[in-house]
Amino acid sequence: MERDNILAKVQEVFRDELEVEDLVLTDETTADDVEEWDSLSHVQLVVALEKAFGIKFTSREILSWDNVGDLVDCIAGKI
Amino acid sequence: MVVNSLAFLWFFLVVLVVYYLLAPKKVLQNFFLLVCSYWFYAQVDLKMTGLLALLTLIFWGIGHGIRIAIEQEKEQLASRLTTLSVVIGIGALFYFKYLNFFIGSFVAAADLIGLHLSWTASHIIVPIGLSFFTFKLMSYPLDIYHGKINHERNIFNFVNFIAFFPTILSGPIDRPKPFLKQLAQSRLFNPDNLMTGFRRVLWGMFMKMCIADRLDLYISAVWNNFEHHSAVSILFASLLYPFQMYADFSGYSEMAIGVSLMLGFKVAENFKRPFFTINIAQYWSRWHMSLTSWLTDYVFMPLNIKLRDWGTNGTIAAIMLNMTFIGMWHGADWTFFLFGIYHGLWYIPLMVSGQFFKKTKIQLNSYGLPTAPFAWRMAGNYLIVTFGLMLFHSTNINEFWAVLCRIPEAWNGGLFFDMPTLVNGAICSLALIYVDFQEEYFSKKKIYLPAWTERWRWELTVTVEILAILLFGIFDNNQFIYFQF
Repeated sequence: MERDNILAKVQEVFRDELEVEDLVLTDETTADDVEEWDSLSHVQLVVALEKAFGIKFTSREILSWDNVGDLVDCIAGKI
Repeated sequence: MVVNSLAFLWFFLVVLVVYYLLAPKKVLQNFFLLVCSYWFYAQVDLKMTGLLALLTLIFWGIGHGIRIAIEQEKEQLASRLTTLSVVIGIGALFYFKYLNFFIGSFVAAADLIGLHLSWTASHIIVPIGLSFFTFKLMSYPLDIYHGKINHERNIFNFVNFIAFFPTILSGPIDRPKPFLKQLAQSRLFNPDNLMTGFRRVLWGMFMKMCIADRLDLYISAVWNNFEHHSAVSILFASLLYPFQMYADFSGYSEMAIGVSLMLGFKVAENFKRPFFTINIAQYWSRWHMSLTSWLTDYVFMPLNIKLRDWGTNGTIAAIMLNMTFIGMWHGADWTFFLFGIYHGLWYIPLMVSGQFFKKTKIQLNSYGLPTAPFAWRMAGNYLIVTFGLMLFHSTNINEFWAVLCRIPEAWNGGLFFDMPTLVNGAICSLALIYVDFQEEYFSKKKIYLPAWTERWRWELTVTVEILAILLFGIFDNNQFIYFQF
């Protein structure tokens, strides 16, 4: 899957989980930029992403992401 | 040396002058800061200065090891070193803070089943600030392992981060990344930082000396002799206690943040008007924020991630463990354990009802204040916090139980009214409540003040604060409640 397609799919998952229809994600987006994205919703997002992409992240991977770009790279490395 | 003492004032004045004379040479500034921090800690706890230095060296060494392991792609070694650092940190806390508690509890439990053990508690002195600097130490290897920071090659910078004198005794618990970044730059003389920092120090002194210490006179008088006081007095003192705690610890934090700012450092904030909250989750996101965010990042998040396949039950388990840690962090007694469990239990209805996962926005009326239903929920939340802090205030479970039992027994008595204490306390508390309301609900609106006051605002505020401290303050170098932790 192309990296842009991964980002688009990630954005779709974020919109569904956080219930923000017009949310636009870029590689640089961080949790500070999205009000609904906090430590709790983060774990819900992880579960939804694992389901959507059919993958499993390690704890270290999840805790090392600084922004959406890191997350997309991590997914790209697994599919 | 207490932060609001004359001794600290002289110490800090000398530090400030020399510190800015050394600017812009950051190496000299940092070295001077390091010497001052260790000198300060030695004044407070000379015997434990060596331990502080030793633990700092160990954690820096482990950080170095993790960096090498990551560079050489030895994942298992990096993971083991990180675990080792956590074991050392928790081990130090356990030995100094909790060993006697566990020995005592074990002996008591064995006694119940007829096993009489002759183990006696050892005489262990808890190093001052241990709970604060151990958390700072542990975040360092964890952040390197998770790729949040690079290893700090300059050991003096790391030592400076851990021992930074404005925050070593009672926080705020700073993180390595923002602090080490600031150490890498020279701090030039900046009048804005000095003025803002000085105002925050004064405001902190006001909160501590005029409110917390004043209310303490009343609360201690009632609580320490609760057998002789009526239910009304006990309940009134209990209701005042959260506010005293807030004025005490937030006051200390203001001073620590202000002193840091005067030295050119922005450290973590610790309080954000915690009583304007409608549930316990909101309350903990605004109370002792540097501790709760530390535990969120290093305890709750990893646990919640590990247990994510359990859904809401996993989150409940992570929260309960996290809140138990928060409780026990405060001290080695069953009261603190129950304090943590009590708060954890209040999260369950929030999680089950889904409120925890969705942020409830507080609705405001036409005056810009919370609508009645939200105001009631805030009052209810204050009561929940009050009950938890009654547990926190008790020296042991028996005392807590005795106080609770006293309440229904003593309904007939009137309110113990210590006029000067309550009147002085009320005047100063109203000032704090006004400022908090202003910041929470009206910060975007400009208050009308005559034009000339704009130019002299800093001078006027500082003068009023100094006069208020001199008029209403209690000058007996009362310890901060959080120093014991």
